[in-house]
Amino acid sequence: MRSIQSIIFSNSLAIVLTIVCVLPITAVFIFSLTAPVDDAFANFGLWLHEKYNWSVATFVTELRFAKVGFALRSVIIALFISFLYYWIGNWLNFGLASFRSSNLIGKRSLIVEAIQPWIFVGPALILLLLFLLIPALTTLKISFTEPGGTASVSNYSFLWDPNALGYIQFRLAMRNSLMWLILVPSLCIIFGLLIAVLADSVRWGVVAKTFIFVPLAISFVGAAVIWRNIFAGGGIEPQEAINGVTPSYQIGLLKALLGHTPEYNEPLYNLKFWGNFYLMWIMVWIKTGFAMVIFSAALRGVPQETVEAAIIDGANPRQLFFRVKLPQIFSTVVVVWTYLVTDVLKVFDIPYALSANDDDKLLLATMMEAAMNTWSIGGSKVDNLFAAIAIMLMLTVIPHMIFLGWRIRREQKQLEY
Amino acid sequence: MYSRSFAHIILAIILVIWVVPFIALITTSFRSEVASKTSGFWTAFTPTELGHRFSTHDKGQQTKVIEMRGNIFERINKNKEWFTLSGEIKSIMFKGRVPDPDKPGKSKLIRKLVPAGEVMDVRGGDFSFQANGDFVWSFPEAIAPKPKNLDVFINQDPAFGAEAYFEVLLDNKDVPNALISSFIVVVPATIIPITVAAFAAYAFSWMQFPGRDWLFILVVSLMVVPTQLAFLPILQGLNGLASWATALKQWTTDCELTNTCQFPTKSFAGLWLTHTGFGLPLAIFLLRNYIVALPREILESAKIDGANHMQIFVRVVLPLSVPALASFSIFQFLWIWNDLLVAMFIGPSANDDVVFPILLERQLGTFGDQLHLLNASAVISMVVPVIVFLAMQKYFIRGLLAGSVKGG
Repeated sequence: MRSIQSIIFSNSLAIVLTIVCVLPITAVFIFSLTAPVDDAFANFGLWLHEKYNWSVATFVTELRFAKVGFALRSVIIALFISFLYYWIGNWLNFGLASFRSSNLIGKRSLIVEAIQPWIFVGPALILLLLFLLIPALTTLKISFTEPGGTASVSNYSFLWDPNALGYIQFRLAMRNSLMWLILVPSLCIIFGLLIAVLADSVRWGVVAKTFIFVPLAISFVGAAVIWRNIFAGGGIEPQEAINGVTPSYQIGLLKALLGHTPEYNEPLYNLKFWGNFYLMWIMVWIKTGFAMVIFSAALRGVPQETVEAAIIDGANPRQLFFRVKLPQIFSTVVVVWTYLVTDVLKVFDIPYALSANDDDKLLLATMMEAAMNTWSIGGSKVDNLFAAIAIMLMLTVIPHMIFLGWRIRREQKQLEY
Repeated sequence: MYSRSFAHIILAIILVIWVVPFIALITTSFRSEVASKTSGFWTAFTPTELGHRFSTHDKGQQTKVIEMRGNIFERINKNKEWFTLSGEIKSIMFKGRVPDPDKPGKSKLIRKLVPAGEVMDVRGGDFSFQANGDFVWSFPEAIAPKPKNLDVFINQDPAFGAEAYFEVLLDNKDVPNALISSFIVVVPATIIPITVAAFAAYAFSWMQFPGRDWLFILVVSLMVVPTQLAFLPILQGLNGLASWATALKQWTTDCELTNTCQFPTKSFAGLWLTHTGFGLPLAIFLLRNYIVALPREILESAKIDGANHMQIFVRVVLPLSVPALASFSIFQFLWIWNDLLVAMFIGPSANDDVVFPILLERQLGTFGDQLHLLNASAVISMVVPVIVFLAMQKYFIRGLLAGSVKGG
């Protein structure tokens, strides 16, 4: 009689092999089978185009509808394949188990239960392995090799060698990251707490909270466009009227408030050094809503008895907040702070969109992009340099990673008791 | 009492700081090109002096006249669908020769602003105009004058119009393409991770297998890994995959005849998988926290009734965890819709295929002189996420709290 372990092993192997063979072939097959859908959509688009006499070129309509058709069938096929996976996996598991242990009913469920969790978590683990874990480790390896493949630490030479590519940029990026790290989370938390407290005490607080919350839904690039209207200068040469004499006003609200003349049209975020603070403010504007919502909920969770007791003892509102409420939500503040720190370390879009990767405004993430796309003097070495900067970025988030792991472990322990 | 009004004032100030940028965005998108690039958005609501140019009459008019009458507003508004001008004419920019007071008999070139009512010399005739736009151009003898372009400064009334939206959506073909591309990316990249994560979360919460807790912690720790770390190897991998697919297609079909064998490295499919991988840790974390808190008796009673895990998951757990699924899907939706970085490195880069944030980032450069278009494009890019966000606010907040406040 064979041991149960070997049955489990051979069953899993059979399932894995079947799935590895069947799913991709099915996918490719269905995909090529449904290819005419694109043309059908394109024709439908052309029909609409002629019927309603659209003003765009016909080939544009054709292209767009073909794209929509492609998208629709891709979505349906992708979904079908993922459900097919779970269905086939489950079916095979049961089928094989009852086939292999037809004379042992108790064993059957044992075999099924041993394999089933892996069918459930398998795709997630494989995707994480392929798209996060292995790439991350590969990046680590790339960062320690020369373009030829020999091991070396020369990619990190921007850390100590003043002549290395990226030496100055790395220092500027670290300086700016430090400023961002200190200012952005602190401002978000201060504003978040302030709004959470104030909004609870006035009747229109809900409206205010909704408006402060909305920027969370907006892309960083969108926010950059929005704040361009405030920070960027006027004095763009009007084309219809003649230069110089025409009324040309300041376009940026803040620049106008600061009294800059229209001729001085440099955007505030382009200023040397000080420009960084305007970029930071955009991030604060977006992220304060996040802090506010969480503090609002946490403040509501503060036990009412403690507040009442403090009021009876004669605490004024300020003491009530700083001595009674804040200590009780302090752990929440720390959690929000760690989230914001991680967000800030990874921020890319805002400086990239507005500063065109000017050295003075670099952060680690934008420095990576600059290394990849603009420091072409390094040639093929740029890839390895890119990897090295990515590792520097990784190092900065490790404390948060450890903290998160520790917190979850602790919560799990609490659940078990 | 004192502290109450203090609260009102502080909150109002903060609210204004938060809302004014939105007003700037929307106002600018509804203004004309000239107005948006020569004056700030806050001047759009009051009469503002702006420069325009008009020609006295159409080309090819041959009848001889002694006196020509017209209206400046009529001339400017001719052929104008949007932003018809009205207001008060302040002055006209005069450029021409006048007798030089210093050197008798000679003339000099001057530029000056001529106010309403004053007569100036244009092409040998006397030109004068009124504040309401009526102008008279009279000549010493009957001639057929050539049209003259004049720059006029008008204290113009506020005018708003949706021209920028029509231009961006109909004439400028990149914006509709970007909308389609964004939807192509966002729908599968939201649904696939949810499906995969829901199964995994169920296994992590209600199934027993070796190494479960440690695997879960590993998965959740991956949540903070910067995505940049993975770009280079993923690109290499996708590149390899694309060349395999190309070879396979060459081998199986006669694509070489039509030259369609090449599979691109940067494709939508690569973007879906990458977003799926990057979104999974958070999805598993949120869903597992939710499923583990469902009453365990459900599981036990279903088991007694003879249901297996697959049945329990599909029939019982999935319907119960709709709120958690909703809250993750809105996170993922917003994250992908607004993502610039991953799309830039992994996604297609052809002009027709870029997603909205990339397009917007490019337009920041190209529309520097057409602020009304830039802002209209930004508004269009925000409409979808903001609607989704406001409609599903409840689930979004729940998801935020699940991640940060213990027991929330």
